[in-house]
Amino acid sequence: MSALGLALRWAHLASSIALVGGAVMLLLAGPSDRPTACAWQRGIARVARWLLVIALLTGLGVLAHQTALLEGRASAAFEPRALARVVTQTQAGLVWLVRLGMLVVAGFFAMGPVRVVTRLDWRALHGEIVGLALIALGLVSAAGHAAAAEPSPLRAIGVDFAHLAAAGLWAGALPALALLLRRAAREDGADARPYAVLAARRFSAWALVSVLVLAASGIANAATQVGDVAGLVGTTYGRLLLVKLLVFALALGVAGLNRRRFVPALGGDAVTVGRPAMKRLAAAVTAEALLMLVVIGLVAALGVTPPARHEQPTWPLSFRLTTAGLQTVTPDVRWQILVGSQIAVAGGVVLLCALMLRSLRWPLGAGAVVLLATGGSMALMALSVDAYPTTYQRPTVPYSVTSIAAGAASYGERCVVCHGRDGGGDGPAAPRLPRPPADLRAPHTGQHTAGDLFWWVSHGIPRGAMPGFADALGEEQRWDVINYVRFLGALESARWMGPKVDPGRAWLVAPDFSYAVGPAPARSLRDYRGQRHVLLVLYTLPASRARLAQLAAGYQTLATLGVEIIAVPTDSSPDAIKQLGDEPRVLFPIATEGSADIVAAYRRFADAPHVELLIDRQGYIRARWAARGPTEREVNLLLAEVQELNEEKVAAPPADEHVH
Amino acid sequence: MRAWKAVVVVNALLLLLGAGGFTAWRRTQAANAAAAQAVTWGGPEREWTGIHGVVRAVLPDLGIIVLTHEDIPGYMPGMTMGFRVVAPQIPDPLSAGDTVRFSVRGSPPLVVVSAIEKAP
Repeated sequence: MSALGLALRWAHLASSIALVGGAVMLLLAGPSDRPTACAWQRGIARVARWLLVIALLTGLGVLAHQTALLEGRASAAFEPRALARVVTQTQAGLVWLVRLGMLVVAGFFAMGPVRVVTRLDWRALHGEIVGLALIALGLVSAAGHAAAAEPSPLRAIGVDFAHLAAAGLWAGALPALALLLRRAAREDGADARPYAVLAARRFSAWALVSVLVLAASGIANAATQVGDVAGLVGTTYGRLLLVKLLVFALALGVAGLNRRRFVPALGGDAVTVGRPAMKRLAAAVTAEALLMLVVIGLVAALGVTPPARHEQPTWPLSFRLTTAGLQTVTPDVRWQILVGSQIAVAGGVVLLCALMLRSLRWPLGAGAVVLLATGGSMALMALSVDAYPTTYQRPTVPYSVTSIAAGAASYGERCVVCHGRDGGGDGPAAPRLPRPPADLRAPHTGQHTAGDLFWWVSHGIPRGAMPGFADALGEEQRWDVINYVRFLGALESARWMGPKVDPGRAWLVAPDFSYAVGPAPARSLRDYRGQRHVLLVLYTLPASRARLAQLAAGYQTLATLGVEIIAVPTDSSPDAIKQLGDEPRVLFPIATEGSADIVAAYRRFADAPHVELLIDRQGYIRARWAARGPTEREVNLLLAEVQELNEEKVAAPPADEHVH
Repeated sequence: MRAWKAVVVVNALLLLLGAGGFTAWRRTQAANAAAAQAVTWGGPEREWTGIHGVVRAVLPDLGIIVLTHEDIPGYMPGMTMGFRVVAPQIPDPLSAGDTVRFSVRGSPPLVVVSAIEKAP
């Protein structure tokens, strides 16, 4: 089923690309009255008609295949109703309808009911076919991965459109050019040889521009769909892309050879001069076209593979390069990096000299390679840190109070013996270990990715005698533990936070939580992201009553300034609203569900009967106020902090609910 | 027909068709978005019954009760808001924190609570 889908896509893409390119090649070569050239043009027109039929049929096939996938049954591919549903009700279906329509109109022109009298007619006809086929080809982007790209699908579609169009304008023209060169290189093709030489030269300039567009849009596409090196080497999509790049590089190598050697060798207009060169060029262009056919196959495969950005990458190496640890390295290592990088720079300079000085190219080149290798390895060795297959995996469980609570339970059962209650590495069993356990609260954890932690929790650290928990804890439970470790670090750094907002400095991510008030649907902290600040109030009756009355009185003002108050009773009572009674008249949300997890996590930021945490729109905790005695506090103080937040110009990026 | 003329005619037709299709598509999108909101303001009087809520405040002098309620399908999502009560008057024993079941009647946004009782 999927092999059939892949084959259909391949045939469709290849025929669409060749259709555009064939018409482009005709336009580039121009009209001619030489018999061989006319025969070639008739041949291309005939092939183009066949390509149109193939593109239409395979296009319908892809649509039917897609319908079967969407409906979840193979027979749906042959039901007109199901097809109509997909075409009218999905964006991809609509795009395919427009594309097939364009191909039908192009087919009308290709079948030749119109009269060609002048050159204007000839150019208009072929230009129209190129235009229609190009739109049909480019619109593939609007029905593919680009249409689902975040944050701006329109930009991604535009870039992908340019990529496909450039592919059609360059790669698609290769077979037509190869056919022309082949015909002209024959014994009886002498009359068309000057025509073929001119066509090859025009194509050469044309190809340069198209390949540049292809490369630029390809890089932008990869940035959207792959994102980083881990995605490139660690996912199926990324690896397919690497293979595609490799084959493309081969094709470019052949193209470069053509441009530098074979096309200039075509010079000479006489009947015999240039004929062997033309044969060679024809063979090389054919090879290029075949390589591009492989590339198109890989593109078809990429189209049905989930983009790397949405996959968990598996890192294939045992190390990775990072500059994250540079702040903490010893002076020795810093020297090593400095010296190594300077040697490498010197190597680069020598390499440039080697390229410019022809006579000394080989000795200088060898020296440059030695310098680059030595310097590079010296510097890079210092930047490399251990890496594991899971290093670049993203947590599958968000950083929330529920996950923290689950992580705390697992931590208490399995980790606390060595790592200690607060993660300081001071558990009762710690002194007996060969190496002291790491302080999990220390900021050096910035050098380790969440994926590194996941690997250690799963498989242990043999030289530190840490066991692995892959068998004992499920995958989600292990991510819970990692969220809890992140939380321990957050608690440590939050010790310095006071009741005043530190302008422009947002660093403490608020764990997500969800709560409900009575029968109203549950809401989560995340829902306020980008909308409102949240004042999270953990209150205890009766001490907090006075403060709640103050907040209730100031609620209107706070709401106007963009603040929502969420009050959570520390005793997690489901009767919280009743206990509060008729006075004060509190109308902001009082959590009656979900409060236990919220209290368990957030109370560790400040262990007092009454705690208020100001969380900004981006999801960062910005101020903390805890009252052990009287809870009344001037509401204007709170308003001032909120004003401070509202006046902030440079907003921090939205808090990542995952471990970094 | 001469090729250049055919091209001009076909392109003009395609542009017209494209513009028309795009407008129709935009209109459908807008209609779908509006249908998703699904709040019909005005129109005939309707009634929603059996809505769960919790009393947040009672203002007997104004005949208003503030409720945090669940989603009211086809009208509004769950929220905290004040309702005017017409069913003769607000039942006496209601106070903040009581869970209630109530009905609203009217033509949005002009609705009133037509029945309200304590839920077990």
